[in-house]
Amino acid sequence: MNLNRNQPSPGKLLQWFNPLGRKLSFSGFTLNRVSALGLTLYLYLHLIVLSLLAQGPNAYDNFLKLIHNPWFMFGEWLVVAAGLIHGLNGLRIALTSLGIVVPQQKQMFVFLMVIAVIGSLIFAIRMYTTF
Amino acid sequence: MTQAPKSISASTPKSGENSWLWLLKLVTGPFIIIFMLVHFIVNHAIASSGLLNYSDILTYYTIWVVPVMEIIFLGLVVSHSLLGLRSIIIDLHPSRGVLAVISWLFLIIGVSAFVYGTWLITVIVSLRVTL
Repeated sequence: MNLNRNQPSPGKLLQWFNPLGRKLSFSGFTLNRVSALGLTLYLYLHLIVLSLLAQGPNAYDNFLKLIHNPWFMFGEWLVVAAGLIHGLNGLRIALTSLGIVVPQQKQMFVFLMVIAVIGSLIFAIRMYTTF
Repeated sequence: MTQAPKSISASTPKSGENSWLWLLKLVTGPFIIIFMLVHFIVNHAIASSGLLNYSDILTYYTIWVVPVMEIIFLGLVVSHSLLGLRSIIIDLHPSRGVLAVISWLFLIIGVSAFVYGTWLITVIVSLRVTL
C-alpha cells in the first residue's frame, strides 16, 4: 500500500488536479487543497480591500460601484462555494481525524458535497436576483 | 515485532508538523464554519444589493456582538489559513531550514494581519458612533 499517495512531491504537483484513476478520497483531498489555496488568497486580498473603509464612504462605495458587474459577482459566488465545500469537507476530515465515522466517510463526503452544492445554488440565486 | 499499519483513512499530523498546531488547525475549523455562514448570509443573502455598502456596514456594527464576533473570526481564520498553508508546504518536503523561515514568515504575517484587522474593526466601531 502506497502511504505517500496523498503527499505529492513538487514535481507531481499537477497530479493533484488529475482525476483519472483516482478514488473518491483523492477528490476530497484535491477539493480541500484547491479551495484552501483560493480562500487563503482571497482572505488577504479581502483584508487589503477593506482598508478602504477607513478612508470614508466615498472610497468604499466607489469601489463597490467599480466591482458591480456579473463577473465580479461570479467571483464572489466562487468564494461562497469554495467556503461551503472547504468547510463541509473539512468537517468530515475533522471528524475522521478524531476517529468518528471513519468507515462511513465516503458516504459522508458525498452527502456533505450535495449540501455544499445546494447551498451554493441558493446563494447564486439570491446573489443574482438582488444584483 | 511488527508495527501496526498506519491508518491512511484519517488525517494525522505530518512529519515536521507540531501536534498542537495540527490540533489547533483542526479545532478552529468547525468554529470558522459557523462564523463564515453568518458572514456569508449577512453579506450575500441579506444585503439588498448583493454586498453591504459603507452605511450598511456601520449599521451592522451597531449590534454590540458583531465587532467581538468579527475579531474572533479574524483570529480563527488567519491562524487556520496559515497553518493550512504550512501543512501544504510540508507535503512538498522542504528542508528544515526552509520550513523554519516559512514558519517565522507566517507567524509575522498572521500577527500583522490580526493586528491590522483588529485596528480596522476598532476604526469601524469608532465611525459607527458618529453615524
